[in-house]
Order: sequence, then C-alpha cells, then structure tokens
Amino acid sequence: MREEMRQEAPQSYPTETAGVPAIELRALCKAFGILQAVDHLTLSVEQGEIFGLLGPNGSGKTTTINLISGLATPTSGEVQVMGYDVRRHARRIRQMLGAVPQETALYEELSAWDNLDFHADLFGMARQEKKARITQMLDLVQLQERKRSRVSTFSGGMKRRLALARALLHDPRLLYLDEPTLGVDVQSRRAIWDYILSLRDQGKTVLITTNYLEEAQALCERIAILDHGKLIAVDTPEHLKQTYGGSVVELETVQPSAVVDDIRRLPCVQEVVQEGTSLRVTTQGGSDIVPQIITLVTRHGELRQIAVREPNLDEIFLRLTGTALRD
Amino acid sequence: MHITGSSLRVIWACLKKDLKSARSEPLYTLVSIILPLNVLVLMSLLVISGGLAPTAVVMQDTGPLAQQFYTAMSQAHSFVLQQATADQADTLIQQGKIVAVVTIPADFDARIRQNQSVAVGVKINNLNTDFTNDIRRALPLSITGFYAKAEPSVVTITPQERDAYPQDLGYIPFLAVPILVIGLMVGGMVQAGTAAAVEWERETMKELLLSPASRLAILLGKTGAAFLIGLAGAAVVLAFLIAVMGIWPVHWGELIGFTLLILALFTAWGTLLGTWLKRRTPLATLAIGLCVPLFFLSGPFGPISFFAPIEQLVARVFPVYYAIVVLQHAVHDFTLNTSGIGINVLILAAYALGGLVLATIVVRRSTLAH
Repeated sequence: MREEMRQEAPQSYPTETAGVPAIELRALCKAFGILQAVDHLTLSVEQGEIFGLLGPNGSGKTTTINLISGLATPTSGEVQVMGYDVRRHARRIRQMLGAVPQETALYEELSAWDNLDFHADLFGMARQEKKARITQMLDLVQLQERKRSRVSTFSGGMKRRLALARALLHDPRLLYLDEPTLGVDVQSRRAIWDYILSLRDQGKTVLITTNYLEEAQALCERIAILDHGKLIAVDTPEHLKQTYGGSVVELETVQPSAVVDDIRRLPCVQEVVQEGTSLRVTTQGGSDIVPQIITLVTRHGELRQIAVREPNLDEIFLRLTGTALRD
Repeated sequence: MHITGSSLRVIWACLKKDLKSARSEPLYTLVSIILPLNVLVLMSLLVISGGLAPTAVVMQDTGPLAQQFYTAMSQAHSFVLQQATADQADTLIQQGKIVAVVTIPADFDARIRQNQSVAVGVKINNLNTDFTNDIRRALPLSITGFYAKAEPSVVTITPQERDAYPQDLGYIPFLAVPILVIGLMVGGMVQAGTAAAVEWERETMKELLLSPASRLAILLGKTGAAFLIGLAGAAVVLAFLIAVMGIWPVHWGELIGFTLLILALFTAWGTLLGTWLKRRTPLATLAIGLCVPLFFLSGPFGPISFFAPIEQLVARVFPVYYAIVVLQHAVHDFTLNTSGIGINVLILAAYALGGLVLATIVVRRSTLAH
C-alpha cells in the first residue's frame, strides 16, 4: 500500500523548495500580553525528517505549531516553511501542510467518506482524482469497510486513523501530528507508528508533539525540548542521553540508609533515590563511578544486585525541565 | 474579497456539508424550521391578548334604543361584549373573567324619548389600569356614537374623514408583517449562528481554517446552507399568514424578493454572532432576547414617525425597521417612510454584506490559537 501511495501521489512539488529546510524558525517570539509563550526560538527541521517537539504543558509547543501553520502571528522573528515565509505565503503553506490536531476535528455526524470528501474539496483536489485518492487513504488506514458509517460510531483509534487519512489526503509535504496516539489502544498505536514511519520513506516531513517519550524515541530522528517558550535542547534521542544523561545505577542492599549520604558525597552523583532496599543513583558521567559505589555499599553490608543502564528520556526530560512530561 | 472558481467550489462544499449535517440531525432541523412559526404564534398571542376588554352587558331594557346603544358599544373597538343577567354578570366579574359590567336600565328607552338623563351603570374590575382606562374611554365614545345615530340633530359635530389608503387594515394584518420580520430574524440568526458556533464547540473550525480555503468562501457556504434551511421556515410562516390569518399580499414579487433579502441579512448576522460567541447557548439566548425589544422598537403598530425623535433614531440603527418598511409595502402597499423602497432595500443589502464582512474579520485564523 505504501508503494502504491508513492506511485500515485496526486501532485508534484515545486523544485525550488528542494534542499531548503522544511521548517526554519529564527529568533521566533510570541507574547500574549506579559506572557512570553515563545522566547527567541531558533530551530531548523530538515525535509524528510520526523521531528519531535516535547515540553510540559505551557512550554510553548502549541503556540510554536500555531505559528508554523499560520494560526498565530509572531510578535517578532521569522517562520519559514519549505522556504516560504508564513506571513507572506500562508495559503501556499497551508496547501503543503497536513494536520492531525489532538481533538481530531472530525465531523462526527458525517460518514468517514463525507469527511474525506469535504477535506478534498477544501484543498481543491481535482474531481477525477478525488474518489481514487479517498479510496486509497481509507485502504491505508483500514477503514474501507466503515466508509459509510458515521464517525460518531468509531472508536478513538479509528477516529485517529481517519484523521491521519484526512491529513494525508491532499499529499502534504509537511505533516503535523499533535499527540497522534492519545487515547488509542496498544494495537492501534503500533499501526499508527508504522504509518508515521512509512511517511519518512515517502520523503514527507513529520512534526510530532507527544507526551509519550516512548513514542518520541520510537519515531523521532530528532527531538526539541521546550520549556517556558525557550529551546532547552535539540538533538537525536541517543545524543540527548549521552549529553545530558550520564548513567543510572540501580542496586539493592541490606542497609541502604547507611550508605545514601556517602554515595551523595561522591563526585558526579546527581541524585540518589531510596525505595525500600533499593537505591537509584543518577550520575553525571559514565559508568566509571560504579566501582566506588560498590566499595561503599559492601563496606556496610551485602550487595544483592546491581545494574547500570542509560537514562531514559523521561529522566533526561525531568533533569532538563525540572518536571515530568505529563505533569 | 473576490470570488474565484476554487472559492466557488469551497462555498459549494461548505454548503453541502452543512446540509448533510442538518439532514443527519432531523429533529433539530425540524425545530429550526418551525422556530419562526413559533415566534409568529407567540408574538400574535402577545399582541392579541392585550387588545379588547371582555365586558358583560345587562340589558334590563330591550327596546330599540337600548339595542342601538348596545350596537354602539360593540362598534367602539374596545369591548368583547356578551349579554348576561345581573346575577350572571356579578359571578363573571367576581371570578375575574370580565373587566366590566355595563347595566342598561329598564327605563332606558322611555327616559331617552322624554329627553331625561339616563344613568348607565358601570362596574369595573380595576385591577389592571390598562383595561380600566379602555372602559373609561370607550363608554363615552359609545354614548357619542349612539347619539350620532339615534338623534343626529343633537350631535352637530361630525368628523370629515379622508383616508390615505383605499381600505382600512385590521390590527392583526398590520401587525402580521412586523411579526413575520421577527420570525425571519430569529429563524435566520439561530440557524446560521448555531451552524457557525457548533464548528467552535466541536473544534472542527480547525479543519476549516487549516485549509487553504478563503474565510469568506467558507462563511458564504455556511451562510448559504443556513439560508436554505431558513427558507423552509420562511415558507411555513408565509403559508400560515396566507392560509390561517387570511392575509393576501399586494405585491407577490416584492414579497418573495424582500423575504429572501431579509433572510439573507439575518443569516449573515447569525453567522457573525455564531463566530463571535462561539457557543450555541448564548447565541440562541441573544437572538431570542433581541426579538422582543426590536419588535416594539421598530414600529409594529404604526410608522416610527409616530414615535419620539430619540426612539426613531434608535429604531433606524437596526435593520428590523427597514425590513418592516419593505415588507409592509410588499404585503399591504403601505409606505412607512419617505426614503423610497429602493433605498430601504439598499440599506438591507448593505447590512447583509456588512454582516458577512464582519464575520470574515471575526473568524481570523489567529482566533484558533488560544
């Protein structure tokens, strides 16, 4: 099906945008009164990249997306999409943009087919290709058999899939997915991830905001972390872990309380958390600190178990922003 | 603001989509269609209930002069008369079913013939001063009317009436036109406003505004669908006026044209209010809440030139006034202002266009950003 989509893409893109970043933000600011929602944000997303935008609530993610899609006007700075300035070429940019908003924005009283048909008309799709393209998209998201059913009868996962089909219908170059698997069951989540990963093969740029770091890690080539409207970090998930993560040492001992303070005093130790007989030690450097921890623990009793692992994105996120993503 | 081929397609798509949505919710659509008729019936009941005072007449004398006095009372345009015995009349007034009891004494004819004074008894339930004053004004009028017919030589002052129009028009037929306008207003505004507000409530406005389609085209399509549904409501109201109230329009072409224009105006303003308020409940409350003051402000009982200057000024701010002027011309061939029908029509068209332009401004894409 993916192959079929590549072959039957309904429109060709202008060659003048080849090589330019899909999204380029330069010193972008947006203020609402005294609230600085986006604060001098500079960021570049390459064409064909799956890019994640992460941040706690109120970090400026939605405002940034609104600025990119032309739903908000910057207070200062520049936004370019495929080389086009958002302020001057808003309509052209919207033509190249497919969006799956968090709320899906589907007409629930209408059928799946009618929703796609309406979207095709809004985007000015040629009549002769409209029917074939809608059929193709319904096949892609496996909703062909429910095409005449009202959307109100669909499950959350089916609605998400239909919203994805709608966003892809006009063959956009840039796809924005806001919490693409929110409220979706595990099986549907996997299917949606597969669709998203297949988009990269078609050369589409995908911008994702998500509260699931597991999702960001599975899908995104690069991640930007925003907090209070500012860019805190941007890199691949692996590099983020290397740069900001250090190591996490998890161990179990007979008398953890006796060694907590000693471990805290070790250089490079960031945090020590005790849970029952377990200790979780977050370090700033690599795993060379492990022998020192073992020495301290065995001095006070038996070391039952020890494991060293990389930090996960949740821990990095917590470290960078001081808050968990779903707070 | 210009309309291109692709915009026409967007208009058609939005119109078709809204009609499909309406079809999928038949009960709600039916209520929308009946709403203007409901307003018409409600307003008619409101004005009819404030009309004539129910009065019992105790005819202790049934002679020809007493009968003539009764006839004069019935022609005073203030009473709903019924004959009763003294006991029946007392019961009726005690039960609060009538406003007054008029007693024509047993020697009425004899005393009139002998040029003696006659005391006609009047017992009034003065709970409501409006009705009480009606009785106080109408009874002397009945006496004058009686004398003008029974003893023409006694009443030497007679009015010389010259009418501006060839025929008199009843109270209800005159009022029917303003009520029709208010029905079109409520129906058009609620239908279009609801269709616009629901896009915000269900957050589907994002789908519309993230598309490259122009805002004007989107709103024109939505307003068009509301207009077509409103048209069904207007047809029901017009059928009711003609078939039930017996009002036969003088200028059919004008009636159809002006009704379409007025409906277009109110659907455009409904779209504006819907996009502004973004919620259906305040929209419906505002539309229905506006109808009563605008009805009384815009000259339902006569031209607004009978009003105080400040009231005239305020009435001219609202399109309801101009709508009443043009429809009174279409239905009864009345001319209620000196501007000419063409100017009134232009003003209404400007209001319709203004509503759409303002809605386009209100529905800026940035309004989605919060």
